[in-house]
Parts: sequence; C-alpha cells; structure tokens
Amino acid sequence: MITCENLRKSYPMGKGRKIVLDGVDVAIAPGEKVGLLGRNGAGKTTLIKLIGGVEMPTGGKITRGMTVSWPLGFGGGFQGSLTGYDNARFIARIYGRDYGDLRGFVEDFTELGRQLQMPVKTYSSGMRARLAFALSLAIEFDCYMIDEIILVGDQDFQRKCHHELFEKRGDRAMLLASHSAETIRQFCNKAFVLHQGKGTMFEDVEHGLAHYSEL
Amino acid sequence: MASLREGARIQFRVITALAIRELTTRFGRENIGFLWIMAEPLLFAVLVSIMWTIMKGPEEHGVGVVAFVVTGYLPLTLFRHGVGRSISVFQVNSSLMYHRQIQILDFIFVRVLIEVAGTLMAYVFICAILIYFDLFPVPADIGLFLAGFLLYSFFTLSVCLIVAPASEMSTALEKFMPVTTYIMIPVSGTFNLVSWLTPEARDVLLWSPPVNAMEMMRYGIFGDQITPYYGFAVPVLVPMVLTLIGLFLCRTVRRHLVVE
Repeated sequence: MITCENLRKSYPMGKGRKIVLDGVDVAIAPGEKVGLLGRNGAGKTTLIKLIGGVEMPTGGKITRGMTVSWPLGFGGGFQGSLTGYDNARFIARIYGRDYGDLRGFVEDFTELGRQLQMPVKTYSSGMRARLAFALSLAIEFDCYMIDEIILVGDQDFQRKCHHELFEKRGDRAMLLASHSAETIRQFCNKAFVLHQGKGTMFEDVEHGLAHYSEL
Repeated sequence: MASLREGARIQFRVITALAIRELTTRFGRENIGFLWIMAEPLLFAVLVSIMWTIMKGPEEHGVGVVAFVVTGYLPLTLFRHGVGRSISVFQVNSSLMYHRQIQILDFIFVRVLIEVAGTLMAYVFICAILIYFDLFPVPADIGLFLAGFLLYSFFTLSVCLIVAPASEMSTALEKFMPVTTYIMIPVSGTFNLVSWLTPEARDVLLWSPPVNAMEMMRYGIFGDQITPYYGFAVPVLVPMVLTLIGLFLCRTVRRHLVVE
C-alpha cells in the first residue's frame, strides 16, 4: 500500500511560489492500476516524482508499504556518458541484483544488441525507453510509476511491454500518467484526476475519464 | 538490529557502486584508467619541488625542499580537488536521485573518498621513489602521519559538506571558489612550518585545522628534524561543527532540489 496524505508541492517562481499540488490524498493498494489524468502542467509528473522519491514534498506525508520503481519516462535514472551495460551494472549494484541475470534480461528485452556498448547519450528516445523499462522490470518492483510517453514505442516494444507488465506482472500495482483515454481504458482499473492542485479518485475509470474531459 | 545491518549493507552497496561509476566516468577504461588520479598531484608536487629547488636551494630550515614541498602539496591538492568536485555536485548527479537508496550525502562522501584514496596512493608512490633517491626521509612515525592525514581529510570532507549545498543555493559561490582555495594556502600550512613564524602568528594559525593536521603529518615524516606545534582539539572539533552545519544544509537543499 502506498498512501499520500495532504501532499503539497510548490516551486519558486519569480517572487512568489507556484503551487502545483495543494493537499493531494491518494492511496494505491497492491495490484491496483491507477490511471493518472490531468491537463498539461496539472502536476502528473510532479506527483510521480514525489511518490518515486525523486523530489521531496513541500508538505504532507508519503508512506511506501511496497517497493516503488523509479519514475519511468524518457529522462532520468541514467548517466549519459556511460554505456548501456555500465548503466545496467550500476543499477544491478545499487539494487543488489546479480548482474549476469540482469544483463541477460536486458539484452533480451531491449534487442539493442551492440548498441548496449555505446554511451546512453547516443540512444534515441525509443531506445532509452527500452533500456529503462528493461532495467525496472528486471529489478521487479511491487509498484511501477510510468509516464505514458515511454509507452509510445514501436509495435514490437508495445507488445513486449504489454506482455511483461500486464500479463506476467498482472499482480503489480501501477500509476500510469496519460492523456489518452484509450490507454487508461485498456490498462487501468481506477482513475485519479488532478486539477488545480487537488486530486479526485474515481473507482470507475469511465467516470474519471468523463470528469477529465469536462475540465 | 536486523534493519540496521540491512541499512549498512545497502549503504555499502551504494558507496561501492557510486565509486566505481565515478571512476569510470572520470578516467574511462583506456590506458592506465583510474591510476590517472595520481597523475595530477604527482606532476604538481614534482614540478613545484623542482622550481623551489632552483629558487631556494636544496634545503630550507634544515629540511629537504623536495620532501617539504611534497608533504605540503599533496594534501593541498586533496583539499582543492575535493572542494572543486563538490561544487554543483547535486546538479551533476541529479539523475541519480531517481534511485531512492542513494542519498545526496553519498555523492560528496564518494568524491572525497576517491580524492583521499588517490592522494594516499600518490603519496606512497612518490615517497617510495624519493626515498630510493635519498630525497625523502624514512617516516619517523607513520601512526602520527596517518592521524594527521585523517584529520586533514576530515576537514576537507566537512568543508565539502558545506560547499556542495551552498553552491546549490548561490551560483556566485562557484565564481569565488578558485580564489578562496588559493587564499586558503597560507592558512593550510602548505608552504611553511608553524615554528618558522613569530609567536603571535603561531597563535593565530593554530586555530586552523589543516595547519594542525599538516604539523602532525610533517612531524610524522621528518621526526625531530622539525619542531612541531599542534593540538587535537582544533582539528577534531572545528570539522565536527562544520560537518553538523553541512549536514543541516544538505538536508535543506535536498528538500528543494528540483530534478529534471
């Protein structure tokens, strides 16, 4: 179970502060797949970063009762000057996994071949997405934080993601930020809509989508 | 107890991983790799001692100029590199904030640790060569030398713990840092012994932790060839206070750190 209570986050902006999250409460139970909806700048990425522990909240409390992945998007989590293999080795070390196993899975999943010997900064965003996904799947988290853009890979990648994340790891929880009603319908069983710093949870995805389209 | 051990295990894993990552990004895998870490302090120490020997002759105040410069310069490069590498360390490493088991203190700790290890390696290497050519005395008291080196490193770490978060708060600091580390030289004991000074100047300089540490290191090396002046209170307590301030600043900065 992951719970956020009265979560607040603001950033300095000019002389004042820009309030992004203004008292958000959210709970994600094991196995729940929550679609995160909100207009551009509503704070979807911010919420994911806070739950993922990348940034610290200005106020409020986050309790993580299960392991949470790092936020999966295009950027972040990699050292551009290091090769794909070096990054994998680093991740294996800090999460205490066997590098041999992890490497096998990454090679299999990413199909990047010799590109893995190249610095990550030379990768296309699709290739980065493959690597990020492969690594987080290999670590095995209870809850995955996903920014939708990462799912916009080619057909083959989408099929693999679907298979690995939703079929083989159907019992895992997920927070998926997305603008696409289609994606949310397909993958989520709950919807959380962010608007003007506040969040509302909808047990029914359709209700959430309806609410979102009226914003 | 079990969770404490688990925590220590994770901490150790993270430190090792960060150190290896740091070494590969900085030195690559080509040619001598991370042994390059010794190259700069070595070059500096060698060139400056040659310069001094030409300018001042082979001996000053009864100690060999080469040995004196080496003992002063190596710790100074440790301090300068440590501080230099702490500037904007959070921005540079912000992509690592994606992994919760990595704390921002780890960045600073790892960088200082690498500098300390590199300096010590350079020290052993250069001393071995110089002792062979009879330009360096066989250390009189290695224990005292190591105590001094440890306290010098502790001081460096404590300054880095403040510089790193401070550089995040104000970009102006970055511009001042090179000058500041330069001005540090007279109060670091690098190029003079306390016994060469007037009693008034002595009293002032002994408030500086690196001067005390440097005197210990030099006494450990030159033995009774020199008259040392040092105490333990200043080089232990001052860095402790600085560390506390640094930890507090790091904590504050982490709260406001914006990660891309």
